[in-house]
Amino acid sequence: MTRRFAEIILLVGFLIAAFALYLSTAEYPKMVQGSTATYVRFLSVWLGLLCLIEMGLWLRKRGREEGKKLNVTSAPFRFWSLLILMFIYSILLEYLGFYIISALFLPVAMMVLGARNIWSVALTSGGVLIFVYLVFAKLLGVPLPQATLF
Amino acid sequence: MIFESLQALLAPSSLLAVFIGTVSGVLVGGMPGLTATMAVALLIPVTFVLEPLTGLILMGGVYCGAMYGGSIPAILLRTPGTPAAVATAMEGYPMSRQGHGGLALKVSVIASFCGGVFSTFVLLMVAPILAIFALTFGPPEYFLLAILGLVGIVSMADDESSLVKALISGLLGLVIAVIGTDPISGQLRYTLGLTDLYDGVSFMPALIGMFSISQMLDLTSTKRIVTDTSTLQKIKREPFPKGLKKFVGLGSITGTVVGVLPGEGATIAAFLSYNFARQYSKKKHLFGHGNPEGIAAAESGNNGCVGGSLVPTLTLGIPGNSVAAALMGGLIIHGLIPGPELFSKYGVMTYAFILSLFLANIIFLFIGLTMAPYFARISLIPTPILIPVVCLFSLLGSYAMNNSILDIFVALICGIAAVILHRTGFSLGALILGLILGPIAESGFAQALIIGHGSYSIFFTRPQAIILWAIILVLLIPPIIQISRQSGRKKADVERQSDTSAE
Repeated sequence: MTRRFAEIILLVGFLIAAFALYLSTAEYPKMVQGSTATYVRFLSVWLGLLCLIEMGLWLRKRGREEGKKLNVTSAPFRFWSLLILMFIYSILLEYLGFYIISALFLPVAMMVLGARNIWSVALTSGGVLIFVYLVFAKLLGVPLPQATLF
Repeated sequence: MIFESLQALLAPSSLLAVFIGTVSGVLVGGMPGLTATMAVALLIPVTFVLEPLTGLILMGGVYCGAMYGGSIPAILLRTPGTPAAVATAMEGYPMSRQGHGGLALKVSVIASFCGGVFSTFVLLMVAPILAIFALTFGPPEYFLLAILGLVGIVSMADDESSLVKALISGLLGLVIAVIGTDPISGQLRYTLGLTDLYDGVSFMPALIGMFSISQMLDLTSTKRIVTDTSTLQKIKREPFPKGLKKFVGLGSITGTVVGVLPGEGATIAAFLSYNFARQYSKKKHLFGHGNPEGIAAAESGNNGCVGGSLVPTLTLGIPGNSVAAALMGGLIIHGLIPGPELFSKYGVMTYAFILSLFLANIIFLFIGLTMAPYFARISLIPTPILIPVVCLFSLLGSYAMNNSILDIFVALICGIAAVILHRTGFSLGALILGLILGPIAESGFAQALIIGHGSYSIFFTRPQAIILWAIILVLLIPPIIQISRQSGRKKADVERQSDTSAE
């Protein structure tokens, strides 16, 4: 996908969002039609207008930048693996609880990203979990997610 | 009275309280998701068992320390410890990547110290007068103050296209800020039935996602944050950049004034100071690529807020921001009701507390200067080890704000969205600015229109509003002229190139 094509997709998406936002203000209560509804309408109109202007600018210089590829990352395996691991971590956090899922996430993520020294992986993972337990849980009393599965 | 206050402050228990409070504040501020408000609120029950003065000094130390602490991970890892450190991250992290993280930390701690000392001095000398000034600000002025902050978006652009994209990004931030409860009617908007969205999209998870997670995803393709490690060996010998005084002064004044206004916070103060610095810098082209002037302005701005926010808190009982509100809770628990009595009947304690803020600033200056070279070594940790740890703290920080799993997903979605938006040329800084200023802009706009019976003239008639309009115009015109000049130059270059190729 070229960078310009990605930009156009985003701009079209924002334009649709701006239109939907404008329409939604009709459902605001009557008492705020002259205040917060006006504010939201103002935002949606300007968002839509600016998207159209940017599309106009794109049409003007279409020939020049068409070929540029959208390069999200130069290390796709590590990038997407880390993102997927973080999503899995977030989904399982409620079921397995903070300590179990973190004890799995840290070493797996480190290995996936290229860490090969088992000792540094184990010591860092353990050190981080002990730090969180002492500072977050014990000292500051932050309630960390508990396992609901067991 | 000042002499007696000094005596009270120099008692060993008071000195120990300032030290413990400041060090804890730096640590709390340095961890994403743990804010100064949270730390001060957690301390309130602890202060029950302490002498009122010791308790107050402890909370004041935490407040000062946390404001500075937020800049450390912002500079080294692009992970702002507090929302107020976002502007610092925009300049500090590029400096870290160039191997000048230690210098950025030095600039940050000295600017923080200057901002903190200036605002405390103002608090000590002219608190009652400034408190009356703060009360003259109404909804139209708050709306214009938000607009003043949003003007910064224009200066983030280089040409027509990036200006339009920066404006779109800012508007997106303002639109996201609309999610939640309507400030006037109390009706829920765009919450998708999720109770966690009733108060709107949490600012901190969005911030962590856009800055920290997106940066960690970006770093997956590198072995270390710093490519040239030889520069890190020179940290101790790196000279302090010249010409930063005016930016520190600008930030200190802006931070103190913004801090005095009830409801305004250090985040807005930092962004406004950063924007002013960007406008008046002779090295505009360096902004966004690691300009110490930006760090100096932003850090003195957010620390300037500390003394400023205590002005209405101590004199009128109106907290300047959320941390000051938590601190006021501590005052009331000890039977110290804000108002004139605080400066007369309880004057010894109040002045000792204000003087302790000077001491807290000196302590974090010492910590910052001595520890900067060691903090900077974080950037030498190999990314395969560093990234998962920072990601874990980012996700934990997102969760810890409201104990909400949804906030973790907000951070992740914002992280991936930030990568895509950045790659396609949209401005993350503008988006964040919109998100921060959205609630103030909306409630200011709506309340002003209600007060003015639907007439927009309310934004142009009051003297404070006129002054704010004048500042907005002064800040808006130069970057617009510059952008149009640059666009003209680019167009001429393109035409020249096409003429040459035709020949």
